[in-house]
Amino acid sequence: MLKLILRRLVQMVLIMAVSSLLLFAIFDTPEFKKRLAVQELGGFAVSALTEESYKSWLAARGLDVPFYQRYANWVGNILSGDLGFSYEKNRPVAPLLADRLANTGILAFFVFALMIPLSLILGILAGMKEGSLQDRTISFVSVFTTSIPEIASAILLTIIFALGLGWLPVKSAMIGGFNFRELILPVLTLVIYDFGYVARMTRASMAEVMTSQYIRTAILKGLPYRRVVMRHALRNALIAPFTLIVLQLNWLLSGVVVVEVFFEYDGFGKLLLEAALFPDVEVVQACTLVAVAVAVLSQIISDIGYTFLNPRIRFA
Amino acid sequence: MSTNETSSKMHPKVREAQEQMDSGRLSRREFVRYAALLGVGAGAAYAMAGLPSPAVAQDAANLPFPADDANAKAGGILKVAMQVQKIDDPATFSWTQASNQTRHMLEYLAMTGPDNVTRPMLAERWEASEDLKTWTFYLRKGVKWHNGDDFTAEDVKFNFERWTNPDLGSSNIGLSSVSAMVEDKDGKKSLIDGAIEIVDDHTIRFNLTKPVLSFPEDMYNYPTAIVHRGFKPPLDSSMNGTGAYTITENVVGDRCILKKVTEVGGQPFEYWGGTVFLDEIHYYNFDADNQLTAFAGQSVDAIYDFGVEQMELAKAIDGNIIAARTAQCLCCRMRVDAEPFTDERVRKAVTMAIDNAAIKPLVYPEGGDVGENHHVAPVHPDYQALAPLTRDVEGAKALLAEAGHPDGITLTIDVGNTDGPWHQTAAEAMRDQLKDAGITLNINVIPASKYWEIWTQTPFGATAWTHRPLGTMVMSLGYRTGVPWNESGFASPEFDAALDEAEATLDVEARKGLLAKAAQILQDASVMVMPIWRPVYCMASKSVNGYPAHPTQYHQFNKVWMS
Amino acid sequence: MAVTEIPSGPSVLDRLSKPKPVAVLVLLMWLPLMAYVMFGQAIGGEARAVLLPAIPATLMLYVLGIRAFRESRVAVIGLTLVFFWLLMAVSAPYLPLMDPNKPIAPFTTPFTERNDLFFWLGTDFKGRDMLSRMIWGCQRVLVWGVTATMVAYVVGAMFGLISGYLAGWWDEIISFVANVLLSFPVMVLFIVILNYLGPSGFNIVVAVTFASAPAIMRIVRGLALDIKTRDYVYAAQTRGEHPLYIMIFELLPNVRGPIIVDACLRLGYTTVAITTLTFLGLGLQPPDPDWGLMIRESAKTAMLWKFSYMLLVPALAVSSLILGFNLMADGLREMSLRD
Repeated sequence: MLKLILRRLVQMVLIMAVSSLLLFAIFDTPEFKKRLAVQELGGFAVSALTEESYKSWLAARGLDVPFYQRYANWVGNILSGDLGFSYEKNRPVAPLLADRLANTGILAFFVFALMIPLSLILGILAGMKEGSLQDRTISFVSVFTTSIPEIASAILLTIIFALGLGWLPVKSAMIGGFNFRELILPVLTLVIYDFGYVARMTRASMAEVMTSQYIRTAILKGLPYRRVVMRHALRNALIAPFTLIVLQLNWLLSGVVVVEVFFEYDGFGKLLLEAALFPDVEVVQACTLVAVAVAVLSQIISDIGYTFLNPRIRFA
Repeated sequence: MSTNETSSKMHPKVREAQEQMDSGRLSRREFVRYAALLGVGAGAAYAMAGLPSPAVAQDAANLPFPADDANAKAGGILKVAMQVQKIDDPATFSWTQASNQTRHMLEYLAMTGPDNVTRPMLAERWEASEDLKTWTFYLRKGVKWHNGDDFTAEDVKFNFERWTNPDLGSSNIGLSSVSAMVEDKDGKKSLIDGAIEIVDDHTIRFNLTKPVLSFPEDMYNYPTAIVHRGFKPPLDSSMNGTGAYTITENVVGDRCILKKVTEVGGQPFEYWGGTVFLDEIHYYNFDADNQLTAFAGQSVDAIYDFGVEQMELAKAIDGNIIAARTAQCLCCRMRVDAEPFTDERVRKAVTMAIDNAAIKPLVYPEGGDVGENHHVAPVHPDYQALAPLTRDVEGAKALLAEAGHPDGITLTIDVGNTDGPWHQTAAEAMRDQLKDAGITLNINVIPASKYWEIWTQTPFGATAWTHRPLGTMVMSLGYRTGVPWNESGFASPEFDAALDEAEATLDVEARKGLLAKAAQILQDASVMVMPIWRPVYCMASKSVNGYPAHPTQYHQFNKVWMS
Repeated sequence: MAVTEIPSGPSVLDRLSKPKPVAVLVLLMWLPLMAYVMFGQAIGGEARAVLLPAIPATLMLYVLGIRAFRESRVAVIGLTLVFFWLLMAVSAPYLPLMDPNKPIAPFTTPFTERNDLFFWLGTDFKGRDMLSRMIWGCQRVLVWGVTATMVAYVVGAMFGLISGYLAGWWDEIISFVANVLLSFPVMVLFIVILNYLGPSGFNIVVAVTFASAPAIMRIVRGLALDIKTRDYVYAAQTRGEHPLYIMIFELLPNVRGPIIVDACLRLGYTTVAITTLTFLGLGLQPPDPDWGLMIRESAKTAMLWKFSYMLLVPALAVSSLILGFNLMADGLREMSLRD
């Protein structure tokens, strides 16, 4: 087990090294440097620059040294805990990223707090009686909601609750400090897209357990149906959904981009998009590192969890 | 400064201008602007022109701000949606937004109002020598920095020295006034010795190498904010200004908070400019697309600007829409050195097949001016109308055939929508009109940042030019042979000569005629389709009073109050 | 979200993938549509003529599809949704629609008449007819979505076969690269790639390939590992066939069935991806209509109850297409499990 975790962590570091090197190489092209200059000075000013003053502009930002040298510096800084400096936001990356990650964390917390119970309950209800009306209804609803992309559900929710009924604010910029009402629409958007998928997986897992030998025996022995489900089936049926839910963290980092941009919520996803378009190299780098770390760590957690929850694997 | 005092020292050019006005060759409005530049108090200038002066404070204080509203209530926070940018060094600002963030803290020597008249701000008044080569600025007394220092001529000198330092990279060095103080030394520009002369603590004199009329106007160009003589960038490490407010927090991409300055080192701070009503001014970061939505959601009280495509939305929201006429435009220029535009007949066919007057209402149904395929706008004080353009589809076809394209021609225009989707709307309207003349126009829409990479090189591109106060200014920036911003590759000695002559001529009426000659050359060469001079729109809620509209989108909130 | 249950019973899927006429019809429908959308400008003139054979082909395919899917109501609904949009895509130039790019009467609400024209779905902020834009808009989503998915499959299957069949170093290297790509959240990968290459339809194909191929490769690799122990593969090996021949003619036909369900789901994801990326400004570019673009343009002009139709129309359109793909996948899976 420990060996597996170590292997994964080594792999993670390797992936980070490869991807950050690639990103540095990509953002080192003259076009990207030019684009950075345009962003900072304006299109008119840049074309009035002489070759010499453009070079001194590059030098002032440390962009004139070869990228491998910059990369080496950057790796050194990262190892000493310095994530770099954001050209666009004009402040160090670390506190900026921490702010944005905290905002996305709040969003993610509410998404999971709502999505986990909802999808598990629906999945169990559907899986208990495979083929029944309640199963078919739940299955259809989950296919249906999963088919509405985040951008479309964001629109539908905004139209209904913000523009139509006027119950909730249209945007979630939170300029007056944290405001729970502004968080509702982004959370709902993400939950609507995701819960169906987890519910369907829970259903499949539950259905499989319900048809297994020991459950059938338990029912035939005359144990109350309720107790069979609660005591015996659930424990085994929830193993697969658990690992899946942890893996949803990875999906969430993708899903938040469009939701945060649409609702103007200042989180990780919006930061990443803005930085990539700017192009704010060190912010993109830091965001990518975080994304890779979250992806790999969530995989490790899901593996560990799976091992602990499933006795057959632990003792095998 | 009283009217009497002014008239006793009046610049001879003012008399000349007055005569021109009296004989009807100069409009009254232009006379006011002209006289103000030459040091006549705005109130006096309005009086001389026989025009009612706008509600500007007329008392002895000679303030550049509108008069106090008798109903005004003090207090409140004004929240504005705008991009919040980096403000490390005011001399190197690249965008108006950054200057708005600092405008109520760092002030200017002069201030150009919404009426296009330039009034003294940190200066109390100015005088120009008869040849317009020596300018004396008398600085306002009693202006205090937020650290308790007095504002003196040393501060002004410090700023000019910074701007003319080529290592700083300030765009101010390109202003006609500042550039007349520098010389080329070993390929590097540097300040001429003796160009700046401190006469006394509150008087400073500038000796220029060439006559400049627009000196005071230049002193309100957005990167010319005056910083303290001890200033070292970045600004956040030494927040110090002369304004009524100071920046207490500036987070790029998030917010900029300004608070009223009440005391300095235990002493109550008395702002030189009279009463200000707002307690705080907050800028919140919203990109251009989302400002109006933020306003509709009542998160903010006012916005920096919104596009014409959002007009219907704006109208449906409760609030005041404020429009200003500008010289901002879309210049659809053809590179005269790129195929197929090397053939003047092709360019001419394009401009002949397009009816600018029909495009404007499709793009800007309300407001704005129709362009005339040259770069002087009706709002420019040196504008003179040319003979109206007429559309001639048959003529265009004939020219095309003559140029070797009897079956029509296919062209591609690059559109970056750098100033909003209306660029594309204008290009689409052009496409529909060109079709009649057998010209197929493909519209290649590319992201704004990509467009700025190619704007000078693309054979056919739609470039947004910003407002500049004078027609000669923009003509010499964009069309003189070989200048960096000459995106069309236009090179005409005849044009350059006409422009030189216009710039050197101080007589307003003669200058207009000469500039019109240059404009005519440009128009005849069919270098561009310039369909529209766009208006700018912004919006403020009904509880915001006295929110000014400015053609360059400069924020002047001194007399704004919240009800 | 790329986890897919791989069905084992191949019979329905085989029936679908074997008959030749179907393949011919698919090509008849697809090639003209692709040519029209990708190279319409180059063809010029009467470009719409190329779509003529595609219309009957689409209708016939639909009939055949209904017959093949009749056991599953869900699949029939899905098929109907997808074919509705396909039919709209191939017949858009022949429908009595207004020019989707022509400004007529800005901000006309649905079901109203203006300038003697009736606007079923109203017009957008520029005055372009929403109905026409919605119908024309499906062309680009479908063509680029399907092309991107196909390319991803070709690449993914190729590497999957190599990795699964040849094993050894090949497998190590390919699996590592796949792992690297899979540890990026999809959106991060899309943003980085499209930002580098620049936004366009072709570059979306590249980005989708990078994002989807690793997962496809894993599925195909798993199948190949299983299949390569079968007798007919051994037979081919003993005949002395070249590994390339074995991969293409022995392995490939046998992995084809199981991945069809995955392909349907993946078409859905790709459609989501294209719409989302276009909304973010990284995808297809104006002026031609596209659902993501319609959302992007309206998001700043229509944030008001009375203008909300401008957002609603493209949102519903894209959801219905994705629902179609997902229902088809669901129905196929259901049928294959039943057989």
